[in-house]
Amino acid sequence: MSSDETWGVAHVYASFNNTIITVTDMTGAETIVKSSGGTVVKQNRDEASPYAAMQMAEAVAEEIKAAGITGLHVRVRGPGGNLNKSPGPGAQATIRALARAGLEIGRIEDVTPIPHDGTRAPKNSGF
Amino acid sequence: MQHVTIPQDRLGALIGAGGETLREIEDRAEVRLNVDSETGAVEIETVGDPVTGLKGPDIVRAIGRGFHPDDALTLLDDEMRMFELVDLDDATRNQNDLQRQKGRLIGEDGRTRELMEELSGASVVVYGKTAGIIGGPEQVEVVRSAVEMILDGAPHGAVYSFLERKHNEMQQQGMGYHRYPGGEGGPQEAEADFKIETNPDSDVEFEEPEP
Repeated sequence: MSSDETWGVAHVYASFNNTIITVTDMTGAETIVKSSGGTVVKQNRDEASPYAAMQMAEAVAEEIKAAGITGLHVRVRGPGGNLNKSPGPGAQATIRALARAGLEIGRIEDVTPIPHDGTRAPKNSGF
Repeated sequence: MQHVTIPQDRLGALIGAGGETLREIEDRAEVRLNVDSETGAVEIETVGDPVTGLKGPDIVRAIGRGFHPDDALTLLDDEMRMFELVDLDDATRNQNDLQRQKGRLIGEDGRTRELMEELSGASVVVYGKTAGIIGGPEQVEVVRSAVEMILDGAPHGAVYSFLERKHNEMQQQGMGYHRYPGGEGGPQEAEADFKIETNPDSDVEFEEPEP
């Protein structure tokens, strides 16, 4: 890794109703760009779709390249807790679109919060 | 590194004759698979491109949930293809109900399952306590809502007409592919009855329930 590379962290929160992308510096304290499903689609139900995620990732990639970042570590997160543990459909699409936009992808980490037996799960947690 | 556990009777399908299938997965998904044949635990380690490697766990899981390895490997063909599982155990009350709902999903001589595959273009497998779907995002969504309709107790006829409508919609948008030889044929007669553009909100009553 040469020293003129600047790395950032892309935090991707992918639920079944929305996808939120936040790109920060390595410490996570300084936000560089953020985007969510509502910025690219009209219908609420499309916010979580892979297409929306791709468009968001493309827009985000433009801006972070302008900010001088060449590589991204990715932290994917689903709703977690006592809700759904798996990231929604937007997660993979985001990572792929970021990679295709010419950003180097470093580590991919799943940071979904997992309860060490927390509160009671909602009844009928879907199918 | 990730771990996926698959049932004992799917280990053979995962490994293949002389390890053939296993090697193909390792090559194409750029992962290293470490199979524990005692417990069925599979250790997946990405060796090449981390983005290609993302699909590795999904492929192993799909094979574990009853998909043919060739079907599971189609996940790599297109980056939009996805694998989804519907947990039937959560949706059913007890063993008897599970058996009944599985029967309803598969249909007489597998007709319902086949229709779901044919009209959406996705591949569908009902195995054990899960129903698995592999296909493009809108194909998976169509099958998922069809499965949920059946599990909610909708009559098969309603589900078929829902699938048919979605099929026509997808064709009109040129998004779905269909398996009828010659491209035409199939359930095309109904086309004149559906003008999709004039009524974009006609599907509100089938809005997917919150997961």
